[in-house]
Amino acid sequence: MKQIAESIKDRFFKLGVDVPLEDIENRLSELITKFKVPENEAQRSVVNYFLKKYSIPKNEYYARQAEARLCKLSDLSEAGQWTDVKVKVIQLWDKTHESIAQVGLIGDETGVIKFTKWLNAGLPELEQGKSYLLKGVLISEYNGRLSIELKSNSSIEKLEEEVEVGGGEFTSEEMESELRDIEELTQANQWVSIRGKIVQLWENTHESIEQVGLIGDETGVIRFTNWTSSELPAMEEGKCYLLSNVIVKEWNGRYSIQLNKASSIEILEEDIEVGTATSSYFGAMVDIQTGSGLIKRCPECKRALIKGACAEHGKIKGEYDLRIKAVLDNGTSTQEALINRELTQKSVGLSLDEAIAMAAEALDPGVVLDRLKQKLIGRYYNVSGPRVERYILVDSFVESSEMDKNLLETMIAELEVE
Amino acid sequence: MPGYFREVARRLFAQELRDSDLTSRDESDQYAPQYLLTPTGARVNRVFLVGTLIEKEDIGTDSEYWRGRVSDPTGSFLVYAGQYQPEAAQFLAECELPAFVAVVGKASTYTTDEGNVLTSIRAESIQAVDAKTRDLWVLETAKQTLDRIKEIEYVTPESPASNPYTKLAKEHYAADMKAYRALLLKALESLKENID
Repeated sequence: MKQIAESIKDRFFKLGVDVPLEDIENRLSELITKFKVPENEAQRSVVNYFLKKYSIPKNEYYARQAEARLCKLSDLSEAGQWTDVKVKVIQLWDKTHESIAQVGLIGDETGVIKFTKWLNAGLPELEQGKSYLLKGVLISEYNGRLSIELKSNSSIEKLEEEVEVGGGEFTSEEMESELRDIEELTQANQWVSIRGKIVQLWENTHESIEQVGLIGDETGVIRFTNWTSSELPAMEEGKCYLLSNVIVKEWNGRYSIQLNKASSIEILEEDIEVGTATSSYFGAMVDIQTGSGLIKRCPECKRALIKGACAEHGKIKGEYDLRIKAVLDNGTSTQEALINRELTQKSVGLSLDEAIAMAAEALDPGVVLDRLKQKLIGRYYNVSGPRVERYILVDSFVESSEMDKNLLETMIAELEVE
Repeated sequence: MPGYFREVARRLFAQELRDSDLTSRDESDQYAPQYLLTPTGARVNRVFLVGTLIEKEDIGTDSEYWRGRVSDPTGSFLVYAGQYQPEAAQFLAECELPAFVAVVGKASTYTTDEGNVLTSIRAESIQAVDAKTRDLWVLETAKQTLDRIKEIEYVTPESPASNPYTKLAKEHYAADMKAYRALLLKALESLKENID
């Protein structure tokens, strides 16, 4: 605390004001000790108080501070400080919020750091691959990682000489993404390259999306999103492509890849055979849809009959079958699952013959559906099997019975700390 | 699946539903679903809950209209089922009390003359389940509520919320997340006693 007080005193002294050290210390100590304010917040508050008291404009105080030091990225350590850096723009990312003008990575010979240029800073555009002197930028910290913010009192000067980039956490080699199998994509925020065939293109749900769909290779299928801002060419269904520098995203335990400005697309002449992906899902069964329970199928094509008729073969004497079209829900997504006769019989304890007898007695096949709902809805299940369109064709269906005690203990421990 | 998607059944405790009063719907479309925004930022249309059915009553005048009270570790949900929810109404008519039940339904709100907003669940389905399923639900609901709490706590002017509803919930309710954390702790500790 003493150090902070002295540094504040020094700074004011340079601006021609002699603030008594005791005054600074008292104010700091009240905020930090009595009111539990974090040190950097307290420091800012105390500085602002004296600036106001002596009518010193804020930018004069901070400008001088910024002028004082040109830092290497590896020397940045303290959030809340203002500094100057000489850097090269390595990568520009898609901005995640409307208040951000630009966001991405910058680097110098000592390291690489994320930067955010706020829209209200009103600063000129940075170009990828160009080098700049950024003056009066703020070092900030989020989740233990430092980043740099460009604000309204920052400035940008373009440099003729190129800043070398090396070292640090992200080396340029690591940026070159490796070619991976789709099956291996299980780490979020990883940059990779994949080769695959466009299995399906879906209808766009948003204007910021250029294309969305499924791409597959021999090991599996994954969802991809090509953002409009990537300015990449459109891909065609059934064609094969090499996608370089795409980023892996995770949502709800499911992985997808995204193409952005840093990515590239190359068409391949070869044909890739797409393997079936096995999916699994955990959730509560929240609905069993119509067309479940005791149904009749067309003996020719095995399609379910609707009012005794097959869509292909017309009015026909069908064969009985049991199946479930279930909806599972985990609180953040839903999943439809088709459960065949064998698994239906096993999970409900009802054979096809018993189901037929039940329906005959009640003169209503609906009683079979009611029985399924009673037994299954509201309980938690693990299902897995190949995924076809929006369904999982279930080949394993297990009711979840074990409470995750680890999760319980971890959460209690976490909540008790607060 | 253009044009159709199924509303996800959100998980939340009774106390949080009770504290909620902000509804929204797309006014330009009369078939647009209504959403209830909760203090931790869940945007709720459909709900899945598991608890103990402790009271039931037929409050209908002409036709049957059932109201059930389902309790969880933090309070209770009021669950309604009438002629348009025949399966759920039939369940309430026939079941015995108390019972562990799983309810799938839509969150609905009613504003009193004094301007208070009362929340309840219009049941699509009610089924009897076991104690184990109820415990799984409590753990899952605590986990998902805590995830929402953490998200809302991270929101500051410097790092704005990526989810607009998180931001809206924070602005509208300005709720004390510590109180919700305490609620979760209480719920989880009750689970632990069941296990030991």
